[in-house]
Amino acid sequence: MSTQPRVASAVAGAPASFPTVLAHTPDTTGKFFDLYAEFWQRGVAPLTVKEMTRMRNARVTDCAF
Amino acid sequence: MTWLTADRDRPSLDDLLAHRPELKAKYQTFYASIREAGLVPPRLLEICRLRMAAIHDCAAEWAQRDAEVRLSEAELAALKRGDVQAFAPLEQAALTVTERLPYQHHELTDAEVATLKSQLGDAGCVSLINALVLFDVNCRLKLTFDLKQ
Repeated sequence: MSTQPRVASAVAGAPASFPTVLAHTPDTTGKFFDLYAEFWQRGVAPLTVKEMTRMRNARVTDCAF
Repeated sequence: MTWLTADRDRPSLDDLLAHRPELKAKYQTFYASIREAGLVPPRLLEICRLRMAAIHDCAAEWAQRDAEVRLSEAELAALKRGDVQAFAPLEQAALTVTERLPYQHHELTDAEVATLKSQLGDAGCVSLINALVLFDVNCRLKLTFDLKQ
């Protein structure tokens, strides 16, 4: 695992992060965040269940971010 | 068995997502945007998608084909068994990263990503890795729900 971002930020003056690296592909990234918002803002699964599974997934994949 | 409609034919991924039409539309729009961005050659996307299907042993994903990409029987067989030697250097680099993503993501090296960046640029590299993640998700959805395609 790298200790530094492997792709630079696409946003001038901003550090490399999930959104600023994805910003290299702005059209695709916009559509990703539309999809992600749909997951979180709508649907019958309770928000607490979604958050619980998100956090568990982060642990399973060993993603500290 | 399939989990959602045990008394009917096995549904497809489209059928599954149709339970949430808005989600389906946004999922498909996101998926299509990667191809439409044109940052990664269609053949490269296709060989990575098929390799991901082989890694997951996902017959439903493996059965799909991009009509615009022609792969030889030898190339398909190589993808099935994970033999990257049959492919060009950029394709080998992309297949190496494909190999890492589902179960070995912490073993991905700086050099492996750097090779992709040197060939595809930052935007192409980000686009390809977005695609790999989606291919991974598609396999997981199809296997979880035992979908036919």
